[in-house]
Amino acid sequence: MKLYAYCLVEDLDALDAATRGISGAAVRLLHIDEFAVLTSNFDDDTVAVTRENALDHAAVVRSVLDRTTPLPFRFGTLVTEQQLRNYISARKPALQTRLTLVRGCVEMSVKIIREHITENNLPAVPGEITSGTSFLEEKRREILGTEANAAEAREISTWLHEQVANLARDEQVTLRSSEKLVVAAAHLVERDKIPQYKETMTIARENRPELHFLLSGPWPPYSFANIELEFKSQFGVS
Amino acid sequence: MSSTFDQIIVGEEWEDSDLSLLETLDHVLNRGIVITGEITISVADIDLVFVGLNVLISSVETAHEVLRKRQPE
Repeated sequence: MKLYAYCLVEDLDALDAATRGISGAAVRLLHIDEFAVLTSNFDDDTVAVTRENALDHAAVVRSVLDRTTPLPFRFGTLVTEQQLRNYISARKPALQTRLTLVRGCVEMSVKIIREHITENNLPAVPGEITSGTSFLEEKRREILGTEANAAEAREISTWLHEQVANLARDEQVTLRSSEKLVVAAAHLVERDKIPQYKETMTIARENRPELHFLLSGPWPPYSFANIELEFKSQFGVS
Repeated sequence: MSSTFDQIIVGEEWEDSDLSLLETLDHVLNRGIVITGEITISVADIDLVFVGLNVLISSVETAHEVLRKRQPE
């Protein structure tokens, strides 16, 4: 019998008895040292990516968000109880550090898309290149276009950072200079600052009418729970 | 430009929207603690293995594609 792991928490003694997880399984708290993990029994070896399962996972993690700030596990995490205990025992300092970072906070997600990307970086249409010179000119256009898009992505990212610098305890930013979705950012925001954050983003959005925004949240801090990254950086293994 | 992306949506009001599902998938599939270094999930009965920190779905657009392929079922 494996366990499906939803999230790790601190300062939580009991769950709502009605909490149900993947496939309707009862969710229980497994206490390990000073932590607790929300788990449910799981009979299979794989977890299907379905709408229902993804929403069930998200709902269980969200169910404790009003009482504490959980560290979510990635969807599909199946472990034995012993694996879970070994993991927590081996990474206790990193887990404590992460919980301290996210304590009292939620994640706000911002995605920014631009209307147009610089067309110079579009691939040349076959047949248009008739000589070595035109080939080189086309390559130059591609390089310039790519650089222009990358510069624009950096500018937008820097601008966004400046807007929320006083409101976000931490941030995770992904730049996608070759796509319309140019910036995907996650901000770790203290709960009592959410109204101010929303107001700030509303004003920011009005100041950049050429961009389009998707702001969602509050989320459990999915983007700030990656312990493995720290482990890899410290020990060179994943 | 579609207006669906050009909005601010926060909290309970958007929980039933397609956009919220995509955002949920983006969070639960891409992020979070990885314990075993290998997580096996399946899409349409095809097993897909995550190794280490590699992720299958890296963007909202790709998540949307997964959903689109599942629609005929």
